[in-house]
Amino acid sequence: MQPAMDFLIKEEKVFSGGLSCRGCGWSLLVRHLSSILGENTVYVVPASCFSIIAGPYPLNELRGSVVHTIFAAAPATATGIRHALDRQGKKDANVVILAGDGGTFDIGFQSMSGAASRGENLIYIVNNNGAYMNTGIQTSTATPYGAVTTTNPQSNYKKTWPKDLMGIVGAHNIPYAATASLAFMQDYRRKIQRAKEMEGFRLLMIDGPCPPGHKVDPSQSIAVSRLAVETKMFPLFEIERQQYTVNYIPEKFVPVEECMRPQGRFRHLFKPENKQILQDVQKHTDKYWERLLAMEKLTHELNIFED
Amino acid sequence: MLEIRGHARGGQGMVTAFEILAKIFSKLGDYHVQSFPAFGVERTGAPIQAFLRVAKGEIYNRSNVYNPHLIVVFDESLLEQVPVFDGLRESGSVLLNTERSLENFKDKAESVFTVPATKISLEKGLGSKSLPIVNAAMIGAIIKLIDADIDIAKAVVAANVPVKPEANAEASEIAYNSIIGLGESELKLHEFLNTTKIEENPVDEDFLKSVGEPEIDKFSEPYWSQPMSLNKTGNWRVLTPEYTTKLAPCSSNCPAGTDVREFIKLSGEGKFEDAVEIIYKHNPFPAVCGRVCPHFCEQACNRNELDDGVNIGAVERFLGDRFRNTLPEKTPIRYEEKIGVIGGGPAGLTAALQLRRRGYDVTVFEAAPQAGGMMRTGIPKFRLPDVVLDEEIERIRREGVKIVTDKKMKISDLEDEFAAAIVAVGSHIGSKMHVENEDQIIDGIDFLYDFKLKGDKYGIEKGDEIAIIGGGNTAIDVARTALRLGAVPTIYYRRTSNEMPAIAHEVDEAIAEGVKIEFLTAPVGVTGSDKNFTVTMTKMELGEPDESGRRRPMPVQGSEYEIKANKVIAAIGQRFDEFVFDGNKVEPAQGKMNLDSKIPVFCAGDMAWGGTVTEAIGSGNKVSDEVHAYFRSLPYSHEENHPNVVMPVDINFTYYMPTPRINNIVKYDIDLYDNFDEVVEGLKEEEIVKETSRCMHCGECFSCGNCYNYCPDAAIHIDDGGRLRIDYDYCKGCGICVQECPCSAMTFNLKEVVYE
Amino acid sequence: MNNIKEITKEVKETADRFPRHEERILKGNYAASEAAKLCRVGFIPAYPITPQTTIVEDLSDKVGKGELDAEYVNMDSEHSVFAAAMGAALTGERVFTATAGQGLFYAHEVLHAIAHYRLPMVVCNVGRPSIPWNIWSDQTDSLAQRDTGWVQFYGESSQEVLDSVIQAYIIAERLELPVFVVLDAFYQSHTSENVWVPEQSLVDEFLPPKDRRNYEIDVEHPKAVGGLVQPEHYGKFNFKYWEALQKVEDLTNEIGKEFGEHFGREYQAVEAVNIGPETKTVLVTISSITTTARGVIRNHSDVGLLKLRLFHPFPKKSVLKAVESLSDDVAFVAVERNFMGDKSGAIKQELERAFYGERTNPIYDVYTGHGGKDVPPRTIEKIIYRIKNNPKEFTWIDIE
Repeated sequence: MQPAMDFLIKEEKVFSGGLSCRGCGWSLLVRHLSSILGENTVYVVPASCFSIIAGPYPLNELRGSVVHTIFAAAPATATGIRHALDRQGKKDANVVILAGDGGTFDIGFQSMSGAASRGENLIYIVNNNGAYMNTGIQTSTATPYGAVTTTNPQSNYKKTWPKDLMGIVGAHNIPYAATASLAFMQDYRRKIQRAKEMEGFRLLMIDGPCPPGHKVDPSQSIAVSRLAVETKMFPLFEIERQQYTVNYIPEKFVPVEECMRPQGRFRHLFKPENKQILQDVQKHTDKYWERLLAMEKLTHELNIFED
Repeated sequence: MLEIRGHARGGQGMVTAFEILAKIFSKLGDYHVQSFPAFGVERTGAPIQAFLRVAKGEIYNRSNVYNPHLIVVFDESLLEQVPVFDGLRESGSVLLNTERSLENFKDKAESVFTVPATKISLEKGLGSKSLPIVNAAMIGAIIKLIDADIDIAKAVVAANVPVKPEANAEASEIAYNSIIGLGESELKLHEFLNTTKIEENPVDEDFLKSVGEPEIDKFSEPYWSQPMSLNKTGNWRVLTPEYTTKLAPCSSNCPAGTDVREFIKLSGEGKFEDAVEIIYKHNPFPAVCGRVCPHFCEQACNRNELDDGVNIGAVERFLGDRFRNTLPEKTPIRYEEKIGVIGGGPAGLTAALQLRRRGYDVTVFEAAPQAGGMMRTGIPKFRLPDVVLDEEIERIRREGVKIVTDKKMKISDLEDEFAAAIVAVGSHIGSKMHVENEDQIIDGIDFLYDFKLKGDKYGIEKGDEIAIIGGGNTAIDVARTALRLGAVPTIYYRRTSNEMPAIAHEVDEAIAEGVKIEFLTAPVGVTGSDKNFTVTMTKMELGEPDESGRRRPMPVQGSEYEIKANKVIAAIGQRFDEFVFDGNKVEPAQGKMNLDSKIPVFCAGDMAWGGTVTEAIGSGNKVSDEVHAYFRSLPYSHEENHPNVVMPVDINFTYYMPTPRINNIVKYDIDLYDNFDEVVEGLKEEEIVKETSRCMHCGECFSCGNCYNYCPDAAIHIDDGGRLRIDYDYCKGCGICVQECPCSAMTFNLKEVVYE
Repeated sequence: MNNIKEITKEVKETADRFPRHEERILKGNYAASEAAKLCRVGFIPAYPITPQTTIVEDLSDKVGKGELDAEYVNMDSEHSVFAAAMGAALTGERVFTATAGQGLFYAHEVLHAIAHYRLPMVVCNVGRPSIPWNIWSDQTDSLAQRDTGWVQFYGESSQEVLDSVIQAYIIAERLELPVFVVLDAFYQSHTSENVWVPEQSLVDEFLPPKDRRNYEIDVEHPKAVGGLVQPEHYGKFNFKYWEALQKVEDLTNEIGKEFGEHFGREYQAVEAVNIGPETKTVLVTISSITTTARGVIRNHSDVGLLKLRLFHPFPKKSVLKAVESLSDDVAFVAVERNFMGDKSGAIKQELERAFYGERTNPIYDVYTGHGGKDVPPRTIEKIIYRIKNNPKEFTWIDIE
């Protein structure tokens, strides 16, 4: 059998043996990220599952430099590293923040915003798995409406919508912000490549599969991620200097239930009495999608965003 | 004080189990309890420990349990991976969750008990196959070992599990009653539980006396760089993915037994000679079958779920045409048994060839002036040009099969010269309709034979109205032949187009050429003669399904009507010629026959089963195997086993883009009068390569790399042979590779992997 | 105009006192920023907070004018300032910044991280207390960071701040430890006074460029920094850190002496003033109160003064040595411009720990100067009077 030559990863830049759960999005997204960024990269990791996965003493999962830092200020740490490297003439080295949704939407929000506003030359990766998974599934402001977490148990499921991080990040007028899905690997890899080629603050938000947190069978990680995109619950788009581009328009309508049903965290929503909630989620999803398309149209028709 | 240490995987519920046990002990008596876990930072799957102390008085120890009285192993696979038996007290016991016999563990401890907790839990629906939650069952077993009250335990279990309280309590009770290895030891555990004697700490003297400089290795700085791969995560795995080649439906559905997937793949790689060899292994007639087979392979093609099945027939035809006049190698005769084959059709010729290849001296006797059977006599030239058939038969001859034509033989004719007879005379006698005046009706089979071999038109002239009764390929071929004689043929079929046994594309072609078909109508009687017939027809309707699975046609009362025709041709079925059995009444069936004959007689082909060229070829292959097995005293079974055939549900269609099928060009727009040129064109080489790229490779890895690309643990690599391989040192068994494998070339099973 | 010659002559004389120096009148904050410049710091993350703000303003100015070749970044908070400082130090840069009060409290988490990463850096803190709002002099903020593991120097004057920053970099980089140089708010930070600023070359001769050790990020030789350490290993890291801290006191004295030889101004971990056979009482002070106390005790031959320049790790050896001639009945008075949320102030706590098993002198705690309350000579006089006439273990002077 001929080995196909188009495998996505030509040279592995992670070591096997990482401490991720089965079917974890973190490991997979970092595996692809590192394969594109190469070893000349400093990864700055605030508290998150990845701070465990990346390797306890004395191990390092990455073929690259890894700096573990405090939860609230990874972009600040990265700022220090970036400026020091620049000063040392190592402008070609990548400095990359690997943060979770808690570390980005919540505790690290200010630091992220600060770095984005300053236009720091950093790549910020958000693995958005919709809760504080490292501490065992607690609600973050990225947690989807209707999801059950240990701080929103059972009927006390989360009853607020996650914040529009991409909108906020985009409003910082940074050169590049994009969402990506591991089920759309070529698109994700293209976005990493694109981010790598740019300068300034660049942010990628990846829909992070988390089998224990989402209560999904590990083998379904990619399948459910794909459904998130197909149902438009996690649209794929880019924002360049506030100009929106939608990267994938699902061919056919797939109801949000399709994506939610395999996820145990939404199980209660399928009780007859919770039908309205599913409808609300559908409505909100559709509305956000329409808004996204409208943003794309608006920002492309108005030339003010072009350089 | 009783000290228990548990070993499990994160996510199996052991920590909860130990907490529940603590609660149970507090209910069982005036016990002080202490239960706590010790785990790393990993989550599901990683080995963890839990501790339980129970005492009559205060517990004066808050450290881990190093020297337990009882070691409880929740996951059997941990035995090979973690030193679970370390520190067990001299008189201590071990409880294992396993279905294996006690013998396997005798050397581990003085007293070992087993309980099939995984089985019990799965039966009770607790957890999943990849991670059964065995805590309730293990609690039940532990309760038995300390000789405590199971009813109290059940109540506490039910009150403390997050879901399924009853199932959990039942699992506890079943486990309580399922322990193997019971003896004296449970009493000892009970003693430890209730003793208030102050125990000595088992301490190593050397440890107490050792004093030294702090042990600071070179890594005692907050930075480090050893590779993560020092940490082997393979021991987290419960379910194991494996590359497994499964049967593709095209291959499993080919009556001839052709490895369709393989020849399609080789064709796609441009290796046409290798590809045709794959076909020749089972089928000496690819050029014929590429034209006339209904392509069971294409019908079963999983791609039909996405767009259209791969045009396998066109590939087969291409290969057959390219190689049909090549020179095959001849096998030397190895065996003394001479085989006689009666019938030179696809079954007889195939059987003869296969036996000849094995080293038997084989002679085929054909009644007609030319070999080929129905391929020769029943299939018109515009579907199968003579040269195609001639050349493929010539290849068989060149491989050493002797073919004697114009020789209508009986079994008894072979008895002296041959060690065995294979009867494959086909079905060349047309069935009767059992209507009045039937002798005025032309038999379709005869018509095709006589026209093709002798040019006998049965008086059909330009403009004649021809009524053809039937719905099979014969009816279609008759109609299309009549059309080419300038007649106006109409087919009358008693069911609907859905039930028509004729090959669908042949029907389409016939209609396109101008053949009319009327459905749900059947003849009741025929009057007239020569070229002036009146056929009384009755309308039909479909009733309940008959034994063939098709809905039975029922006459509609009072719906009779008449049609006029210059000729009436019946093509309603065929049967075999009994001449071969010396006129004896025989019910032919595949394989060795129960006949009162001097030599063993084997039956194959249309007369045994099937009705298509390819089925006849398959039948010939089978009978050759049986004959060989008979003479060589090898085992042979008629049973067929097709496990693990890849079905549409196994395919991950996400990874296949809808791509239009490249169809053969069919020439409709020409004047058909007296034109017996081939109607269907073959595909060109570049089209063949393109069309084979539509193959989804069901059940066989085609190195798409999905498993590699999606493995979160970088546990898949390409070995020196260029094959994808799983590194089981690191594979945690998430199953993403299996799920994302487009073509179901992987399996995911509950088993340990044998290292290569 | 006639005066100009005379003035110039005077300047020349003072310059002769400290050759290769320029005498300038600088506020403490500017002495701090001047020192950072002289130390050729490479990275300055900045965030404003009173009364530190002029330090980062002045550094911004110096960088802007090209006088200082450094990366200067306006951060979004002190938490981020210290996180950025951590990142740059981890990448091998000589880092400087300044903060105060709330900012320091906010950065508390990061202080631990920097210290336990063993990152050398020097940070000036201009002390002020916490809520309710108060921007004036108080040492509670920095003293409350005692257990983060940072080395702490307290400067008595602008000159001392400048000199200490230079010495602090040597100590920090040699032992791989972060160092605070603490200034009093306003009484120092905003007080203009004579400062002899050394020539750049003089500093360069003393303070070598930052060398690279093993801990720095080196993209050519990747490694992981600061990940998870399991229980069986964690103690090792603390042990190494503990070892380094043991060396601070001796190194402070050694570098202070070398500094004296090079610049003409010698420093020690502690300074004993007027401690001798007559001494009955010893005032123990840090920062600017020391200066006022120096003045007051000139009228009290039996009152000595012990100035703590190095506060953490506490210079036990130097303290005991400074008072070894004193008998056990001499009263020690800890002058506490801090409130540690405890019965005793920070200085008394440390003295008690230092004396335990060594000396039995009574230690009296005097709380004074909180939230910027002025500590004039009369307050010092009152302290001395009270200790001599009505000694109590704890005395709150200002609120009487």
